[in-house]
Amino acid sequence: MFDTEMREYSRDESVDALVIGTGSGGAPLLARLAGAGLSVVALEAGQKWNPARDFATDEKAQDKLFWTDERLSAGNDPLHFGNNNSGIGVGGSTLHYTAYTPRVQPDDLRLFSDFGVARDWPLSYADLEPYYDELETFLGVSGPNPYPWGPPRACPYPLAPLPLNGAAQLMERACQTLGIRTSPAANAALSAPYFRKGIGWRAACTNRGFCQAGCSTGAKASMDVTYLPLAVQLGAEIRPECFVINLETDAAGQISGVVYVEDGIEKRQKCRNLFLCGGAIETPRMLMMSGLANGSGQVGKNFMAHTGMQVWGRFDEEIRPYKGIPGSLISEDTHRPKDADFAGGYLLQSIGVMPVTYASQVARGRGLWGAELREHLRGYNHTAGINILGDCLPYEGNFLELSDEKDARGLPKPRIHFSNGENEKKMNAHAETIMRQVWEAAGARDIWKFDRNAHIIGTARMGNSGDDAVVDADGKSFEIPNLNLPDTSRFPSALSANPGHTIWALSLPPPHLF
Amino acid sequence: MPNPTYPPNTVRALLHSDAVTPPTRAALLERLDAQPQAPQFFDAAEMATLRAACARLIPQCERENPIEIASSIDERLAAGKGDGWRYDALPPDGEAFRRGLRGLDQSADGEHNAPFAALNETQQDAILGSVQNGAARGEVWQTLSGARFFEELLADATENYYAHPLAQEEIGYAGFADAPGWVEIELNQREAREPEANHV
Ligand SMILES: Cc1cc2nc3c(=O)[nH]c(=O)nc-3n(C[C@H](O)[C@H](O)[C@H](O)COP(=O)(O)OP(=O)(O)OC[C@H]3O[C@@H](n4cnc5c(N)ncnc54)[C@H](O)[C@@H]3O)c2cc1C
Ligand code: SF4
Repeated sequence: MFDTEMREYSRDESVDALVIGTGSGGAPLLARLAGAGLSVVALEAGQKWNPARDFATDEKAQDKLFWTDERLSAGNDPLHFGNNNSGIGVGGSTLHYTAYTPRVQPDDLRLFSDFGVARDWPLSYADLEPYYDELETFLGVSGPNPYPWGPPRACPYPLAPLPLNGAAQLMERACQTLGIRTSPAANAALSAPYFRKGIGWRAACTNRGFCQAGCSTGAKASMDVTYLPLAVQLGAEIRPECFVINLETDAAGQISGVVYVEDGIEKRQKCRNLFLCGGAIETPRMLMMSGLANGSGQVGKNFMAHTGMQVWGRFDEEIRPYKGIPGSLISEDTHRPKDADFAGGYLLQSIGVMPVTYASQVARGRGLWGAELREHLRGYNHTAGINILGDCLPYEGNFLELSDEKDARGLPKPRIHFSNGENEKKMNAHAETIMRQVWEAAGARDIWKFDRNAHIIGTARMGNSGDDAVVDADGKSFEIPNLNLPDTSRFPSALSANPGHTIWALSLPPPHLF
Repeated sequence: MPNPTYPPNTVRALLHSDAVTPPTRAALLERLDAQPQAPQFFDAAEMATLRAACARLIPQCERENPIEIASSIDERLAAGKGDGWRYDALPPDGEAFRRGLRGLDQSADGEHNAPFAALNETQQDAILGSVQNGAARGEVWQTLSGARFFEELLADATENYYAHPLAQEEIGYAGFADAPGWVEIELNQREAREPEANHV
């Protein structure tokens, strides 16, 4: 992955910035900090992969990309983690994200002003916009110009949209008859070869539909083929297979360094600033294990997970749902539905699916087994899906705690309580009706829904005051000035857009911070 | 329209062709050629119950050499590997499996005075169904959620089965032929290396 020589920093010296985690929250930031001439080191629990050599187009072989330290799922809607939620490795969850890259719409950031629920963000769309522009150009996002929803764009998508696959064609046709607008989606996967200074050429997507189990061609803009090589070239050091177990403070209460385990040996790295980017479960877990930055009492609270219901149907046409970028078609007409009895909204996306994932969902979601299960799966090549990505409100009862059970590393397993509230249930009901209508209009039979929540969000929310928030609008802890939380933990509300693009935008710190 | 069937014996040839990249070929051939291991996690009685249950969850009567499911589960548990989460309502995976299998035997004993593996298929199906519905008889089910255990067992069995190249051949999946990339990705489009459905 890194062609250039990597700089190495001494563990005895205090580096300007230490970044924990190299996923969406950590990677853009790492490049930015290195580019500003700071001494920066990233510690990453997982391995560094060479996708062309190490990635098989096989779901089971790619289990290695998922975070498998056990989490306990509680509540009325216990969440599936592992392959449904978190990654490990240099690149974090972007190694297996699907590459959907919608922007938020401005009103996503003010649910409280508009509906009296959740929280407003302490920043606005205008604050994110220049970073969205920069990211789309740097990563090579493929998308339509103009994009039909949201404010007009200053900067067009640099590449044409990826081609529509079977599921997208079916959804497009049916939506047309129902008066729902659709558009090819924006995806952070290249529709043509793309060159960027600092990372060189990346090849175009070969339509192998395997984004969720790792892209072997480098077409998908995961962090390991974009911001991380750039960061290394700019002077950052990335240490893979280093698991951070404790954060340390000095007499003044500032972070002075961290303790991590490499090859079974405990090591220390000193730092002047810490950027904790372990994702919305590991970040609060590390803060809780270290007993830090929780004066507000909000660490681990307000855990959110997008509504992500999928509706599947069986068609006469051959779809072969393993081909093409999985999410090639989108509609944001349901962003603020006129007949909504809930706050916020959702977007609709067509979905492709890999066979083991689909089979597992049929087993868990429909409870089919025996001859019936095998019969259903024989229809795999004729199966197409639509899913929603909808807002999720923060609730008192949805939170993370440290359990008494220890994992294989000897650390307390996190227990995550999650239940959909009334708002999510109403949104799901609304979406299910629409998705069923679309699939009926497209000629589907045996339509069924799979209840699902996706993405881990919240747990260290950002706000205007340390009384009820953990970090400020820049991601800085109210209590410990040299501690920053740039990852998904800081989201005060879930937003009705896939989170990656917005995390990256938040992870590109404005120059005034240096 | 009934579900399609696909021609047999295509997957091995495809795996040995240029259409498959080396890492993908390595992963799939290893699975295709795997020999069942002696159980390491379960004892012989537990293994017999697990095998019997898997044979009903994923019946493979038509296969001369059924795809090994139970030993893959045994291997995973012996290695202490999980999928990153578990229902808080269930004990750790290994314990949940041991207790759940004991539960199947208790239910079988209560209904028919015999271990689960000795029952006929109809009897086994009835017991599995009652576990899935949370209505099974037996002391184990007082403290172990039958519905959750069943879901875990079924998901494990299903994932192991459909990860096997021969099961993927059965459903006409060819995504592992990953070297050239796909051009014909629209409705009713098929490339030469994708198996054509048998016409019924
Ligand atoms: C299957 C799937 C599909 C998705 N698809 C999309 C999509 O299409 N679009 C989108 O926008 N989002 C998508 N997402 C979500 C997106 O990937 C995540 O929201 C995002 O990457 C989270 O960023 P993060 O920085 O908070 O955490 P991560 O990207 O998960 O990064 C956390 C990193 O920290 C490391 N780490 C954690 N603890 C420690 C420790 N103690 N020591 C050292 N390192 C540690 C982890 O190994 C990991 O690399 C998808 C997610 C999944 C699971
Ligand atoms: S569909 Fe394209 S971007 Fe996704 S994994 Fe395949 S080649 Fe990579």
